[in-house]
Amino acid sequence: MPRRAALVDSKAARRILGVNFGTFLLRRLIGIVGVLVGVSIITFAISHLVTTDPAVAALGDHATDEQIAQFRAEYGLDKPVLEQYVIYVQNLLRADLGTSIRTRRPVAQDLIQFFPATLELSMAALVIALLIGIPAGIWSAVYRNRLPDHIVRVFALVGGSLPIFWLGLIAVDVFYNDLSLLPAGGRLDDFLQPPQNITGLFVLDSLLTGNMVTLQNSLWHLVLPALVLGYFSTAVIARMMRSSMLEVLHQDYMRTARAKGLREFGVIVGHGFRNAFIPTLTIIGITFGSLLAGAVLTETIFTWPGLGRYATASAISLDFPAVMGVTLLAAFVYLLGNFVVDIAYAWLDPRIRHGS
Amino acid sequence: MQNKRKTTPRALVLAGVLGILIAALALAACGGVPANVQPTIQAAAQTAQAVAPTVQAAVTNIAPTVQAAAQTAQAQVTQLAPTVQAIATTVAPTVAAVATQAAGGQPSGTLTYASNIDDIVSLDPAIAYEFSGVVTDHNVYEGLVQFIGSDLANLKPALADKWDIKDAGDKWELTFTLRDGAKFSTGNPVTADDVVFSIQRAIALNKSPAFLYIDIAKLTQDSVVAKDPKTVVITMPKDASPQALLTIFTFTLGGIVDSKEAKAHEKDGDFGSGWLLDHSAGTGPYMIDHWTKDVEVLLKANPNASVQPKLAQVLIKHIPESNNQQSQLEKGDVDVAQNLTPEQIGDVTKKPGVTFAKGNSLLLFYVGMNVTVKPLDNEKVREAIRTVIDYDGITKDLLSGNGTKWQTVIPNGLLGANPDAPFQQDIEAAKALLKEAGVEGGFEIELGVPTGAAPGGVAWADLAAKVQSDLDQVGIKANIKQVAQAELLTNYRAQKGQLTMILWGPDFPDPDANVGPWTDYAAKSIAYRNAWDDKDAAAQGRAAALETDPAKRAAAYKTLTDYILHKGPYAVLYQPTQLFALRDNVKGFEWNPMGYADFWTISK
Repeated sequence: MPRRAALVDSKAARRILGVNFGTFLLRRLIGIVGVLVGVSIITFAISHLVTTDPAVAALGDHATDEQIAQFRAEYGLDKPVLEQYVIYVQNLLRADLGTSIRTRRPVAQDLIQFFPATLELSMAALVIALLIGIPAGIWSAVYRNRLPDHIVRVFALVGGSLPIFWLGLIAVDVFYNDLSLLPAGGRLDDFLQPPQNITGLFVLDSLLTGNMVTLQNSLWHLVLPALVLGYFSTAVIARMMRSSMLEVLHQDYMRTARAKGLREFGVIVGHGFRNAFIPTLTIIGITFGSLLAGAVLTETIFTWPGLGRYATASAISLDFPAVMGVTLLAAFVYLLGNFVVDIAYAWLDPRIRHGS
Repeated sequence: MQNKRKTTPRALVLAGVLGILIAALALAACGGVPANVQPTIQAAAQTAQAVAPTVQAAVTNIAPTVQAAAQTAQAQVTQLAPTVQAIATTVAPTVAAVATQAAGGQPSGTLTYASNIDDIVSLDPAIAYEFSGVVTDHNVYEGLVQFIGSDLANLKPALADKWDIKDAGDKWELTFTLRDGAKFSTGNPVTADDVVFSIQRAIALNKSPAFLYIDIAKLTQDSVVAKDPKTVVITMPKDASPQALLTIFTFTLGGIVDSKEAKAHEKDGDFGSGWLLDHSAGTGPYMIDHWTKDVEVLLKANPNASVQPKLAQVLIKHIPESNNQQSQLEKGDVDVAQNLTPEQIGDVTKKPGVTFAKGNSLLLFYVGMNVTVKPLDNEKVREAIRTVIDYDGITKDLLSGNGTKWQTVIPNGLLGANPDAPFQQDIEAAKALLKEAGVEGGFEIELGVPTGAAPGGVAWADLAAKVQSDLDQVGIKANIKQVAQAELLTNYRAQKGQLTMILWGPDFPDPDANVGPWTDYAAKSIAYRNAWDDKDAAAQGRAAALETDPAKRAAAYKTLTDYILHKGPYAVLYQPTQLFALRDNVKGFEWNPMGYADFWTISK
């Protein structure tokens, strides 16, 4: 066991540990760059090999041939695809994502405007998924095949199988139309000025500027979309947590802990949870990606001015610079999420960071 | 907006009392009290509405305080005895809502207009050419001339109170005399220099709508001259239509911009377009308060406008999902919903407090027939196709009345519109025509159609299926090829279509915007796409476009549209109407077929 070895020969062990953890991180970082390059090639190829001409899509029925030719020249569409890709990557390295065909603004500027809204929504959904999913999973494992387990199972089954757009429409119908409890959509009430823009996350910005009115209002608007978006992840996390908890509950060290006279709560949270959490953590990383994907539908239903809606509108109008920008950003965030999970994973489980 | 519950009469009284208190407070802050303050709820509501614009500025400062007070009150109330608490929970949100309303949060003088506005690129009138930008700018800028309400046939004065078209030998000369006393929202007076600047900057910027000046009216920057501070002279080449230019001036592109203000914000020779992206400097009844992309546009009354709007503000709210528009309209959170489907309109108008309005459009749905594809090259075959289609079935059953049967190429609403509709399904006549053409048993052909929903609320696929089954009656087997509109257009533009089902809307409200593209093969538009090269029709079209006498012009278009009806490569199916759902207290909403409404005439 490396950790015990460290106690014996700390200098050598630290060297090995450092090298191993360092290579572990490096491998992951190289992987991220590789995936991003792959994503850029695939999205570029797809968006440039479609049979439809983006110039016709953008300019429409009335455009003259000259206007179309001018458009193609402006966006470099008259050059060979390979050359277009090289130009794209060169610009990308200068942090230039090109100009959106639809909004006619720099794509980077659009992303900066719309991404924080999606991030805020996804983070809120993730927080809800963790706060509900983990306790539900533990509860269900501890009371295996008894009423709590059945409740959680039904809850998870419903969450895992309901399409998000249907759930969203029903939620609006119930909580806005019938009960008048929550707003139908948007990030803030009409006529309420957003907080001073620091991060673009309204909740955080309201906190930073001490604006309690927008804080309360933005949280209020966040509840319904975050619950809808987070439901699926909650279900997945609860089920995952349950199964890994079940595995852990019968381990020797749990029995030992109990034998030492620890209270059941202490045993489960202190000894069981930390071990059972590792597989769930992997799922959380993957879930984060599905949250970004689910945001597309949630944002449409809740008129949430985020990246999902931007992406849909861009794709419909064949706005390839915007689609490329969104895809790269989404891929990057997804990879970053998994990278953070990897680190947390290594932190939780010494076997991983030691490469054994 | 949250916490809006059913209000009891008691709650209304309380809310009214609080409303009066706050209105009085706000008035005191402004230093004026109207004489008609009466302690009734109705009067309080009226007063609040009347004073809203004035009070608003003063009140914005105290708004947070009032709001905070309302919240504190709500918090304190909840600690009271259970009975009181029950009443309080019902009342508090209403009170808070009223407080916010009076405190400039949401004044009663606001029209909330729900629409999908993600198409806005810029609100600069020289750049805006998308639906939502046009709706907005129409209410912010004025042109030299205008159409009023939904009328598109009678030009009325706007910034110019007189105009004159002179045949100056080798060119047209148009002279405009500006109205006295016109002022921009910035306070600057309107001069001929502003008109010259506005037209020149649109030509120089050369964005989406600029072709109307450059290609249609054939203007250059030198065509526009300020003769004196009140007179503008525009010269046009003889082959361009002065009538067309006048109708272009009614459109957003013709909006006159304050040249001093625009120049003050000019950056890198952009003629101020960076600033005009989300600011305004026009003479229209409203001015732009702000535009947040994909969230909202807020318009506020322009104090210098010659016509004062009935409502102090218009909030154009981005709600892309029609379901959301529907539920927020039902709740009364929005006043007008623009993008509901006919089924949704049917549902929503059954609810109390909701009604609907119909607006005309200038769109024409048609089937184009490529005359290089056999047997469509035969006029009789094309006539047979026109004869076998069940037009009444399309408008009555498929569109449930949201479209009118229209068969000529100038849409209803424009000068020269020809209401003749000789075709309705006649299977025997169609069979006879096919027999004459030598294709008695019918033939096989491809029918291209876009994906998705078509304006008027019908799916393109359903429309295509209907036409397919009609054609099948005489043995014409149409194979439907449904592709994305952009892909369909790519094919169609390259003369690769066979039968193509698509729609067309004019670029400017003049018959030439349709007749030109539909008759002139050289214009490389619709006639070209269907490979219909009829020199005579094209010549007649050009002559009609240049005719300056409206009566003679209309007569020329009557002859020409009758000719195209039977000789052309088109089967025009119908002209759709557009439906809007409104709260029933919204008065004065009238949709102009060019795609906008005069918000300033709306009250509620």
